[in-house]
Amino acid sequence: MPIGDSIPLVGVRWDDVLFVALAATLLGSAVLVVTMRDIIRCGLALTVSFGALAGIYALLGNPLIAATQVLVYIGAISILILFAIMLTQTKNAPVRLVFQTQAWIAAGAAVVIAVVIAWTVLATTWPAGATRVFTHTADIAHKLFSDYVLPFEVVSVLLTGAVVGAVYLARREGDPGEGKSREGDRS
Amino acid sequence: MNFLIPLIPLLPLAGFAVTGLLGRQMGRQSHQIAVWAVVASWLVAMVVAFGALAHVGIATAGIDVKLWDWIPATGFHADFGFFVDPLTACLLIVVTTIGMLVHIYSIGYMAHDEGKWRFFAYLNLFMFSMLLLVLADNFLLVFAGWELVGLCSYLLIGFWYTRRSAAEAAKKAFLVNRVGDMGFALGIMAIWTQMGTLNMQAVFARIGAMPHEWQIAIALLILCGAVGKSAQFPLHVWLPDAMEGPTPVSALIHAATMVNAGVYLVARCNLIFQSASEVMVLVAAIGIFTAILAASIAFTQTDIKRVLAYSTISQLGYMFASLGVGAWTAAIFHLMSHGFFKGLLFLGSGSVIHAVDGEQDMRKMGGLARKIPITYVTMLIGSVAIAGVPPLAGFFSKDEILGGAFKNGFLWVWAIGFLVAGMTAFYMFRLMGMTFWGPSHVDPEVEHHIHESPPSMTRPLILLAVPAVFLGMLIGFPPEAGLLHTWLAPVFEGAIALSHRTEAAYTFMGVDGVLAIVTTGLVACAIVLAWRLFGVNMPSIGVNLAPRPDRVREISARPGFAFFYRGSSHKWWFDDLNNLLFVVWGGRLAAAVFWFDRTVVDGTVNGIGAVTTGAGMRLRQVQTGRVQNYALGIALGLIAMAVGYVLIAVR
Amino acid sequence: MSNSLDSYLVLSGLLFAIGTFGFLARRNAISMLMSIELMINAVNLTILAFGAFVAKLRPDAAVIALIVIAVAAAEATVGLAIVIAIYRNRKTPLVDEYDSMKD
Repeated sequence: MPIGDSIPLVGVRWDDVLFVALAATLLGSAVLVVTMRDIIRCGLALTVSFGALAGIYALLGNPLIAATQVLVYIGAISILILFAIMLTQTKNAPVRLVFQTQAWIAAGAAVVIAVVIAWTVLATTWPAGATRVFTHTADIAHKLFSDYVLPFEVVSVLLTGAVVGAVYLARREGDPGEGKSREGDRS
Repeated sequence: MNFLIPLIPLLPLAGFAVTGLLGRQMGRQSHQIAVWAVVASWLVAMVVAFGALAHVGIATAGIDVKLWDWIPATGFHADFGFFVDPLTACLLIVVTTIGMLVHIYSIGYMAHDEGKWRFFAYLNLFMFSMLLLVLADNFLLVFAGWELVGLCSYLLIGFWYTRRSAAEAAKKAFLVNRVGDMGFALGIMAIWTQMGTLNMQAVFARIGAMPHEWQIAIALLILCGAVGKSAQFPLHVWLPDAMEGPTPVSALIHAATMVNAGVYLVARCNLIFQSASEVMVLVAAIGIFTAILAASIAFTQTDIKRVLAYSTISQLGYMFASLGVGAWTAAIFHLMSHGFFKGLLFLGSGSVIHAVDGEQDMRKMGGLARKIPITYVTMLIGSVAIAGVPPLAGFFSKDEILGGAFKNGFLWVWAIGFLVAGMTAFYMFRLMGMTFWGPSHVDPEVEHHIHESPPSMTRPLILLAVPAVFLGMLIGFPPEAGLLHTWLAPVFEGAIALSHRTEAAYTFMGVDGVLAIVTTGLVACAIVLAWRLFGVNMPSIGVNLAPRPDRVREISARPGFAFFYRGSSHKWWFDDLNNLLFVVWGGRLAAAVFWFDRTVVDGTVNGIGAVTTGAGMRLRQVQTGRVQNYALGIALGLIAMAVGYVLIAVR
Repeated sequence: MSNSLDSYLVLSGLLFAIGTFGFLARRNAISMLMSIELMINAVNLTILAFGAFVAKLRPDAAVIALIVIAVAAAEATVGLAIVIAIYRNRKTPLVDEYDSMKD
């Protein structure tokens, strides 16, 4: 049964409610990411913020990108981050200090950035339409494989290179591929 | 003639170059080139002088030989040229003759000195400089020669440079001269800016048209230079100390030539001075004041050379006074005769010093007359000449000065000059008494060795004694109408015309004769007084008196005289005054300026350096090595740019 | 609110600011990388917001966002590999102890 455009009795549109909820989640989890002491919890909060973002993308009429966000960010990058956290855990107790000495300056800088961006945005009249419009996947596909085919190919090469590089950087000394002579004596 | 004139200074210059470069190798013969150069120069100078005075080959008004365009710049122009007229000729005679005789004398005097080659090189350089000064036709060249003789004076006074007193005396001479030279340089600049030319004859032609203030200014500035070079008050302090140099130097530079440069300059610029007649009064005042000042100091000096030095200052004062009262020719006459007999006296004193093995204090001499006869006789002649006993040279020249002063209306100049004549006779015969007559106070060890000087030293003495005796009669008789007046008349007629005075003829039966007799009388009294106090032993005229030092002491202790005695022996405290003003107070000022320089100026410069170093050390700490600090820096920079852009774009 | 471009842009600006703070203030290297991811996502949001509201940019914005996601993934991979490599060397993931380049 169709719900209707806005919440009955209160008259607030569902879109707005959704937007506010998702925005609050996003900002809240983002703040948690940068302020929590336990780094694994930060990673989890990061995953939550990705999820909220996916929701906002869908709200903006881009379900394809929302899906991609979930797949790539939550499915791959968050896992990667969690793995890295676990690989770099120190044996000692959790660290005393979360922030560096320059944290206050950083806070000030962040505030300034926020203010400047907000102010600029609000002061400009954007040549925008009155409402958000749905983007069709067919259009995206069309654009991707005609005008943006070169960046597409380059990105695939980039990904290959990144993976190879990451493997090389992160492997241990004496891994197969380098210390063959040592093992080879035995057999 | 155009070829001969440049040769006169050129020969000593070549002598200087050769002796300077090769002298050390030449060893004992190092004097040869120098002496021959000067002898040759003397010969040429005599020819040129003859030409100028007899008007053979040289016009009456003089000859101007331009050698080359020295400074052909836009806005400024000077030539290198020589000018010869009768005045130049007179100076040439004095300079080259005495120079040559001094060179010959130095062969003997400096025979045992290791730096002999240096001495002769400097002497030749000095001859060149002095001749350049005398022959120059424009003020810039005169100034060049002026400074060069100052330099040579410094080099020669400080010849024995290992002696501290000699080095300091040389410094003192140079510095005091410099004060005068500053004025002279300013005068030359004034001449250039006002008249657009430095050629002397051209300047004299134009000086009449200048506004009176400029005439006075230029005359005063030129006078500054003359006062410094000729050791007049207040710049007289260097000459007595200059006696630290070897005696030939004292004879040549400080008696016969360099100090005459000032007199020559004023005489040459007679038109400038006459057109500023107020300055003439100043010249006369300075001159006659210096004369009596120096004469009073000579009364108490015990160093034989110092007495002669003060005597030189006093006689130069006479010359300046003569110039100031308008008796131009008399001044040049006195210049010439003084050059000869003062040169004679100095060389003679050198001979005395040589005989007593370097002792210069007259209190340790005495009774030398029999032991060094030639020196004694020549010095006696010199003393008589300077005292002004007729018919020797000094009488004629001094009398012309006094007569000129009296007749031109400067009675005060005459009165003081009259006194000084008596004082001169007194202190000269005091010198003679203490040195040659009376009992011997010579150190016993030295007494054995007293001997007459070698011929290379005594021959110049004899040669100088001749003009000391006869010069006056030769060129100065009849008084004011003699040869010298005929020669120099065209040089000074412009000035005399300007002074609106008619030269009264010399009247022996009138004013002039009376003056001459009165002066001679005073001189005679002074000589007798000196004999009575300091002794005399001249069998030839039948006088023999013993010196009376007790009487001298008693007189100098008398209440009235005691102050004069003290003042005189302290040189009237001028050296102390200069010391206080310039050394003590000047030193304090210099210390204050040094403090300022060190603290403020250097402090500022060092402070800037310190600021830079300090800033660098602090900025260094930005390089923490930590990436996050760098990231913060990037972020802040980016924010700043963004904010700035927004703020600007909003406008 | 959900229909005004400004709100999405302000939201992304806030997210970006939060990410900047985290990047500059946290000690752990991986926290810094997480903050970078936040910043990249903020930018992505901006791009998509414009795409939704401005007709001319419509399909392009989505394509660009897609490519940005891919690049961010590559960057995260390499960054984490580096952090792990440094960790092996220094035995600590705390960036303020990486100061061998200090003066």
